[in-house]
Amino acid sequence: MNILVCIKQVADTEARILLKSDKKSLEIENKYNMNFFDEFAVEEAIRVKSKIKDSQITVCTYGTKKAVEALRSAIAMGADRAFLLDNTDLDNDDPLITSKILANFAKQEGFDLIFCGRQAIDDENANIGAMIAEWLGIPHVSAVLKFDIIDEKKVRVESEIEGGKETLEVQLPALFTTQKGINEPRVPLITGVMKAMKASIAPVDPSTLGGLSKELLDMTASKISVLTYETPNGRPAVKIVDGETPGEKVKSLINILKEEAKAL
Amino acid sequence: MDFRLTEEQEFFKKTVVDTIDRIVVPKSQEIDEKDEFPWETWKEFTSLGYLGLRYPEEIGGMNADKVMSMVFYEEIARGSVGFAQSVIMNILMGTYFVYRFGSDAIKERCLYPAMRGEKISTMCFTEDQSGSDLGATRTTAVKDGDGWRINGTKMWITNGPICNFCTVLATSDASKGLKGLNFFLVEEGTPGFSSGQIIHKLGCRGTVTGELVFDNVWVPNENLLGEELGKGVYYVGDILDEVRLMTGAMALGIAKGAYAEALEFSKKRVAFGQHIGNYQLIREKIAEMDTLMNAARLMINYGAWLLENNMDCRVVAAEAKMYATEVCLKVVDELTRIYGANAFAYEYTPQRYFRDARFLLYGGGTHEVLKDFIGRTIIGKL
Repeated sequence: MNILVCIKQVADTEARILLKSDKKSLEIENKYNMNFFDEFAVEEAIRVKSKIKDSQITVCTYGTKKAVEALRSAIAMGADRAFLLDNTDLDNDDPLITSKILANFAKQEGFDLIFCGRQAIDDENANIGAMIAEWLGIPHVSAVLKFDIIDEKKVRVESEIEGGKETLEVQLPALFTTQKGINEPRVPLITGVMKAMKASIAPVDPSTLGGLSKELLDMTASKISVLTYETPNGRPAVKIVDGETPGEKVKSLINILKEEAKAL
Repeated sequence: MDFRLTEEQEFFKKTVVDTIDRIVVPKSQEIDEKDEFPWETWKEFTSLGYLGLRYPEEIGGMNADKVMSMVFYEEIARGSVGFAQSVIMNILMGTYFVYRFGSDAIKERCLYPAMRGEKISTMCFTEDQSGSDLGATRTTAVKDGDGWRINGTKMWITNGPICNFCTVLATSDASKGLKGLNFFLVEEGTPGFSSGQIIHKLGCRGTVTGELVFDNVWVPNENLLGEELGKGVYYVGDILDEVRLMTGAMALGIAKGAYAEALEFSKKRVAFGQHIGNYQLIREKIAEMDTLMNAARLMINYGAWLLENNMDCRVVAAEAKMYATEVCLKVVDELTRIYGANAFAYEYTPQRYFRDARFLLYGGGTHEVLKDFIGRTIIGKL
């Protein structure tokens, strides 16, 4: 089975992010990781491979050269091949363009099954997976919590919906976005880390993928432009309650809630 | 001069940091509080293969370079020093002489299972009357037929009470002092080999440290680990620089963890209406900690580079160990000052860093001994 996993490299949740003076761009500390939800996608692909022999996992990302690191993480976990669709010269984050490029890559590589993370934790658009499926004309299920293979052409999935879960039987090829709780992403073995360190991941120029117009790949192609960024309101200062014993701390807390917060 | 890690080294570091954060850090407080060997964490962590870090790929290792090794030592110490000691013993000191001199059969029985975490190893130098002074070793090895008979007691042995095998330093000729010392492999179950008193330590809890007793222990000739008699101390030189740099890297790891706590607390704690990080004296502490740690890191990296390139690093390794340790002690002290009275409570982590850091003064050589060694080496024989 040919399994494709689309991942994204995002800023670490603890990376320092500063708003630049023009309020249209961000200065992000150089700390990046594979997107949180994509780890579930890679893990699920590996579990499918363990059940269906002769499967191959290809992981790809549309990003700058730095995103190679995220691809290596996927290889360390157990992906077989990795491709970077290099957007260094394009530098836009338009989901429509990103999904079209990823879809064309998928079409070129061939696939039976595609996994994506439910959403990226930076922009939280949660639309790439669905858009790829639409470009490819294949079914998709979002926020999958359980994935079972019936046979090489059919799977049964449980997905999260408002107030409950939905169970679906889906014909392959299809695309699934993974939700937290579907699995526990593995910590890579040292053999995986070594393989990842040595992996040669050549960047692919998206313009060499068939079916992409020059206009789509132009810097100005995006229909989305950032007007401004605003920082969220700061969190109030943390106050550590004084007291040498739990009893004393409780008394201090009650006092604070009464006198300062006026909550009691 | 390029100070950056290579792309490979960066990726390795990132992976190690993430692995330690996932598996070790969440258990660190429990490991310290219970002060019991964390068998489950050991099983989970060692199943990943890191115990083969410095051994060749051909035997299932990673063949990591010295810079990557130091990164690993630093990060695992950041996670939990108690756990780190046991892990590093299996990676380096407890297995090195078996790797270097052991027969194929010995390697099958001891080295390869130790690399997989299935067996626990240790190295036995220290006795109650000899720590830094190896020449005062009283454990004896006497030729007896096709083997050797070992008698003595070793102290302060990391992993000792739970080890499956050990490399023990014993003298085959006390009159020769250092030149009479040799390494022998002794395995669990050998008659006369037993563990004695367990030492309850101020810090580095979770690793089991104690006494090992050798009461007329007989081992076959193949258990003499070395090409010639009397070369034990000479062979120690093979790994001594790495052990010292490793200790320095562990110091950096403890300091890194402590510093992160200090920084976070400075940004959160409010006193007199503002975050304490706004006060000049707190900023001074943070500035000093960061400066010292950067300097220590440069020394450790330089030492690792020298070692990797087979250049003489005896002095730098000793200096780096010493300096990084003193920096660590300074950093953990400042952390406790920034935390105030809460640093005195077991429920907060500063006290653990403070306690754990002390062992660095002894492991890898006391600073009094190291300073004498450095001075002697630099000045030479007069």
